[in-house]
Amino acid sequence: MSTTNTVTTTAVSVQNVRKVYQRDSIQIKVLDGINLEVQQGEFVALMGPSGSGKTTLLNLIAGIDRVTSGKVVVAGTDLTPLSEGELAKWRSRNIGFIFQFYNLIPVLNAVENVELPLLLTPLSGRERRERAMTALRIVGLEDRAKHYPRQLSGGQEQRVAIARAVVTDPTVLVADEPTGDLDHQSAEEILTLMETFNKEFHKTILMVTHDPRAAAKARIQHHLDKGVLSN
Amino acid sequence: MKFAPLILKHLRKNWIRTLSTVLAMAVCIFLICTLQTVVDAVNYGLHLGNASRLVTRHYVSLVFNLPNNYEAKIAAVTGVKNITIVTWFGGMYRGDLKYFFPNLAVEPEKFLAIYPEIMLPEDQKQAWFHDGRGCIIGRKLAEKWGWKVGDAFQLESFIPPYRVGKPFEFVIDGIYDTDLVKYPATDLTAMYFNYKYLYEATGEKTGVGTLTELIDDPSHAGAISKAIDAEFENSDTQTKTETEQQFIAGFVAMAGNLALLLNGIGLAVAFTILLVTANTMSIAVRERQQEIGVLKTLGFPSGLVMALILVEALLLGAMGGALGLLLAGGAIRVLPSVPYIGDVVRQFPGLGLSSRIVTYGLGTALLLGLLAGFVPALLAYRARITEVLRQL
Ligand SMILES: Nc1ncnc2c1ncn2[C@@H]1O[C@H](COP(=O)(O)OP(=O)(O)O)[C@@H](O)[C@H]1O
Ligand SMILES: [Mg+2]
Repeated sequence: MSTTNTVTTTAVSVQNVRKVYQRDSIQIKVLDGINLEVQQGEFVALMGPSGSGKTTLLNLIAGIDRVTSGKVVVAGTDLTPLSEGELAKWRSRNIGFIFQFYNLIPVLNAVENVELPLLLTPLSGRERRERAMTALRIVGLEDRAKHYPRQLSGGQEQRVAIARAVVTDPTVLVADEPTGDLDHQSAEEILTLMETFNKEFHKTILMVTHDPRAAAKARIQHHLDKGVLSN
Repeated sequence: MKFAPLILKHLRKNWIRTLSTVLAMAVCIFLICTLQTVVDAVNYGLHLGNASRLVTRHYVSLVFNLPNNYEAKIAAVTGVKNITIVTWFGGMYRGDLKYFFPNLAVEPEKFLAIYPEIMLPEDQKQAWFHDGRGCIIGRKLAEKWGWKVGDAFQLESFIPPYRVGKPFEFVIDGIYDTDLVKYPATDLTAMYFNYKYLYEATGEKTGVGTLTELIDDPSHAGAISKAIDAEFENSDTQTKTETEQQFIAGFVAMAGNLALLLNGIGLAVAFTILLVTANTMSIAVRERQQEIGVLKTLGFPSGLVMALILVEALLLGAMGGALGLLLAGGAIRVLPSVPYIGDVVRQFPGLGLSSRIVTYGLGTALLLGLLAGFVPALLAYRARITEVLRQL
């Protein structure tokens, strides 16, 4: 997958995707024929009202949910036919996740949280620790390596989460309202950090947000409404 | 194991929960192993006896004696090679049950012929055969009281017909040993003396407690037993004859029933601990939905997430099991020196935490951990990311 990855310049290709949730006898059409292309190195903001299916679309692209019909190709891999296990493996290599509520593991300290995705690689303990420390340094929290999530502010937690997202050097970063739980100042820091990863490390970023200021940081903005995408 | 910190930190973070679960598990394993050790000791006692020896006693109860003339009648039954009186004297050293050791009135020459496991130097044997007030004692009994050949001591029986107003006086003629390889179950804490002394001291009024017969062929034990009992079918005092093994089995049946009861208690405790541990694990996992979702999102395979929870539960089991075994080992070492209880426990030779019981205890603990962790682990295995993490 990483070889195809270098050949194509398309990082994400969503083709005619429909997503229907079945609740008892009721069918909820969340996405209705979505088409989306994201080139490598782009920073894309997905906007739209609450309940419009932003998270659902992001989940499909990140390989943690499945389309009802259509096709999702990310980092050169068609996700549609993959099994759960194959998807898990694929995620661990290609996607970095940033959540609204950080989702750090409370019993692990900052550096252990950052190290977590590396546990699935064949790296040695020392190599893992070194990489995790490097990632923490990039987000400016090297001195907080031994702090536990509850000892960190929201903004710091989110920076640790970003370090965790980038530590495996994934192709695509997905962020679902990464500033949704933060004050203005922290949000600004997080957005700057994401910009840095996009510009300096050429990470493709897909960010869901309904904060116009956040969306302004992205180079491309898409609007999702009633299951249909518009620019 | 690189995932160890994650598991250990969970156990440490909820240390109160971990500690109480481990302690509960430890108590459970302690109980099960201690009880099982006692049960084993009792079962071992069942094999003490020899199939080529029969024991004849009063049909109604051991409490009643048999008439003295029965010995000769039984000796005449086909298949009976030798016979000796074995009468439980119930003598208390220093008049106190606290210092109790088994003491029995026998017919020395015939007794030693029938019981090859009682091993004595020839000169001590001869001394005993010719000494009306002589007795022989086991090596362990001698060591316990520092007794030597030639020493004298007194016993007072707690059985009313044998209480003749003054204590019985005995002189030690011999100290017996055994071949522990051939006869591992031989009691080296007993004392044997001449039945004639008892008979004469009680005014020739006492009967015999039991009669032990040596038979020519163990496979005829059933037929010979029937023949002996048939001999007295129409008399006032009927008999009950069985192999020494069966006799001992009957003797410890009560203890056996107790063991069954104790095992039942152990099982009930184990079941309770299973529920406690299962509860601990399911709370732990329920509190960790977010973590499970995150791990899966990061690409941890469902099987690995399940394994992490199972290992955590197994670890609880292992810690509880180890602690429980430690407690049981200590208790079993201390038990023989506990007053009263010790007297009972000491009767079982080779009492100790066997490797079988260690395996059994640890296995039970791990199984309990595994069972307790299984459902929570399965739920974690099945958990869907999009449902446990509604917000990506
Ligand atoms: N697992 C699910 N089962 C049923 N309906 C769902 C599920 N996930 C999301 N939905 C529904 O899909 C719609 C879009 O949800 P979502 O993608 O979370 O919207 P957004 O992130 O834009 O707020 C909502 O109406 C929501 O109720
Ligand atoms: Mg959403």
